[in-house]
Amino acid sequence: MIELIHLVKNFGEIVAVNDVSLTVPVGEFFALLGPNAAGKTTTIKLIAGLVKPASGCARVAGFDVQTHPLEARQRLAYVPDFPFLYDKLTPWEFLRFTGQLFRMDEERLERVAGELIQRFNLEPYLGKPIEGLSHGTRQRVAIASALLHAPEVFVLDEPMVGLDPHHARVLKDILKERSQQGMTIFVSTHQLSVAEEMADRIGIMHEGRLIAVGTREELREQSGTAGALEQSFLSLTAQEARQREAAAAAEA
Amino acid sequence: MSASGSGPARGSRGALWLLIQVNTRQAWRRLLAVQEQSRLLTALIGGFMAGYLALAFFLFYKGLRFAGTFPGLGQVLVERMLFLLFAFLFVLLLLSNLVISYTNLFRNRETLFLLPLPVPAQTIFQWKFIESTLLASWAFLFLVAPLLAAYGLTQDVPWHFYPLTVALLGLFLVLPAAAGAWAAVHVARRLDRRAFQVVALASVALMIAASAMWFKPEPFPEEQIETRVLVVLDRLLFKTRFAQFPWLPSYWLSAGVQQWAEGALTAAAFFALVLLSHVLFFGSLLFTRMGERFYLAASAAQSRGSVLERWGWFRAWQTRQRNLACRRGLVERCFAWLPGVAVDVRALLVKDVLVFWRDTTQWGQTLVLFGLLGVYILNLRHFTQNLTTPFWIYLVSYLNLAACSLNLATLTTRFVYPQFSLEGKRLWIVGMAPLGLPRVLLTKFALASGTSLVLTLGLIQLSCHILHLAWERTLYLSAAVVVMTFTLNGLAVGLGALYPNLKEDNPSKIVSGFGGTFCLVLSFLYILGSVVLLAMGSPWTRRGAPPPWLAASCWTGFALLSVALGWAPLKLGLRRAARFEH
Repeated sequence: MIELIHLVKNFGEIVAVNDVSLTVPVGEFFALLGPNAAGKTTTIKLIAGLVKPASGCARVAGFDVQTHPLEARQRLAYVPDFPFLYDKLTPWEFLRFTGQLFRMDEERLERVAGELIQRFNLEPYLGKPIEGLSHGTRQRVAIASALLHAPEVFVLDEPMVGLDPHHARVLKDILKERSQQGMTIFVSTHQLSVAEEMADRIGIMHEGRLIAVGTREELREQSGTAGALEQSFLSLTAQEARQREAAAAAEA
Repeated sequence: MSASGSGPARGSRGALWLLIQVNTRQAWRRLLAVQEQSRLLTALIGGFMAGYLALAFFLFYKGLRFAGTFPGLGQVLVERMLFLLFAFLFVLLLLSNLVISYTNLFRNRETLFLLPLPVPAQTIFQWKFIESTLLASWAFLFLVAPLLAAYGLTQDVPWHFYPLTVALLGLFLVLPAAAGAWAAVHVARRLDRRAFQVVALASVALMIAASAMWFKPEPFPEEQIETRVLVVLDRLLFKTRFAQFPWLPSYWLSAGVQQWAEGALTAAAFFALVLLSHVLFFGSLLFTRMGERFYLAASAAQSRGSVLERWGWFRAWQTRQRNLACRRGLVERCFAWLPGVAVDVRALLVKDVLVFWRDTTQWGQTLVLFGLLGVYILNLRHFTQNLTTPFWIYLVSYLNLAACSLNLATLTTRFVYPQFSLEGKRLWIVGMAPLGLPRVLLTKFALASGTSLVLTLGLIQLSCHILHLAWERTLYLSAAVVVMTFTLNGLAVGLGALYPNLKEDNPSKIVSGFGGTFCLVLSFLYILGSVVLLAMGSPWTRRGAPPPWLAASCWTGFALLSVALGWAPLKLGLRRAARFEH
């Protein structure tokens, strides 16, 4: 479970995340959408404990990421849009390294790594240095390593970037499957089709605020549009922008 | 418990050990890859290192011997030089540790990868501290090893002097590293990257200016000319007293080394223990108390706008810049004055100038290197009345030529060589433009040569002016530095296109490959050969003009060398660019 309670984060005078409150229950697949600079990545960084909130708190599996970071991180997996990998290691060595950081025992590590390698079709690359792999393969290595310790909460920033249709499908299937098994999944993406197809609930951020949260149908109702998610998204963000402009004009 | 996870550090030692293991494996594979990639590169690096060690040992040995024979004051001079060297190196290590720790702790992708993992921030800090110390200190060891070997030999020390010195050096290195890492964490909490760079550069400039003022030589009246050596030594010893300030860690190291060399083992052991106690105290503080501070600083480093924004003038300036953003900038307007330059070439020139200006590292290093040389040449004016013999004037003028060219070679290898590789990642823009890659390369060559010429020609003119050289000698040296500037730039641009590394975004990593090392070695060899040939062929040698055949041979040799190492690589690079597949 992920709980965000009145989360605020400032970058100088800019409020990147503005009083965001949200609960993503166990086993839910949550997709966060929003235009560029809406605050999605900062929200994810706050969940991952990479930055400290100005106020409010983020909880992962019941643990506050600021006051109980190790407990929270033990239950969390985070894959950024361009994940860091040790270039001179092979995928196999990298998987082992990650598993050891999570203090997995040898037997479990080898078994789970073997399953993930097979699932992500990584066998042909296991002995090659990561520096020589394509972006898509590196992305698969990163996601496999993140899933290794069976996290309760999985946070991904633009996970489909660089994946070919086959492996994008594989990843979607794995995420759906894990979500059904009880893993909480939090994805930030610009690909509306991913959110539409996969997410149980969708959140829309705009200028640091969470302006709408709900199922596909609930968003359609809130926006007063019919049809694809794209129309709801555009309508909701446009409404919010208009309201902001009106408020600014009234203030002026 | 805190966000850093510094409370129950579960398995922190295990995680640290894992990080050490995995990074050692990475480093080892990098070394193997270099060896496998090119045996020539390995041989070049090996040869260069061995050559430096041998030459440095020889020079230190001769220098220490020479200083040691000074009547009555020999030992004092040697001792003061040792203290002074370590004091300066301590300050340099401090700065280098600060910069490297800042980069390694807050601008490093591994740190960002590790922070969301169940690894305590304290452990991440410990690993990054170890890594930064190694990165910042290896060159120091490489630099002082031949000196200490030469010192040991001149002092006729017992065998145990050498292992003890190594141990003392190891302890000493921890102190500037600890101070640098501590400072980096506190700087990161308060300054953003740009403000940090500006403050660091301003501090270096201030230190250089202060040193130049403090060590400024004073002129002597004619009547003191006979006894000036003693007066100079007296002033020198007075002005370098700070190196023997007993609270400086460099003092403990120097005193330990010196006492051990003199056989005063108890006194040496005392200084070794002073070093050890400080290392243990600050080391344990750093290893147990920095996790929380590091986490807060890492969070601040990732989540703030410019610290300059707190000032109204900066915000006003930014607003003005934003309003001007859609107009032609100053650089573009300046280049518009250049006659006969096509629009596309001008666009490339403007882009390269803006990139150079906005990368503080590039102009900062250029400023420091040429600034130091400028300060040195300006200070020559205090010596000119003592540089009375033609031999010294002749020697100093060529040494200045060599120093100026060596500085330029450092900069061309560091900044000009990687230009093509860096462009490689943007080939979809530049490579697809009708301008064509060969012209891109030529434009870079023209810009780099033009900019370098302003610096090198300016410095050589200044040097000639201060040495009161006649106009024909000024012309000779100026012509030489012009040819050398074009050659060094041609070599860097040409080799950059011949050995591109299109996968890398970091220029320092591009330079550390085969092509970069090859470029640096060839540049140094070219400078050595050129200066020797020019000095030998000079019509103003100590023994008068050389025979015409010798002068002609030297000039021809210089011209051929310049063609072979400047024009030819550039030509080959252009050909490569014309056929480049991307």
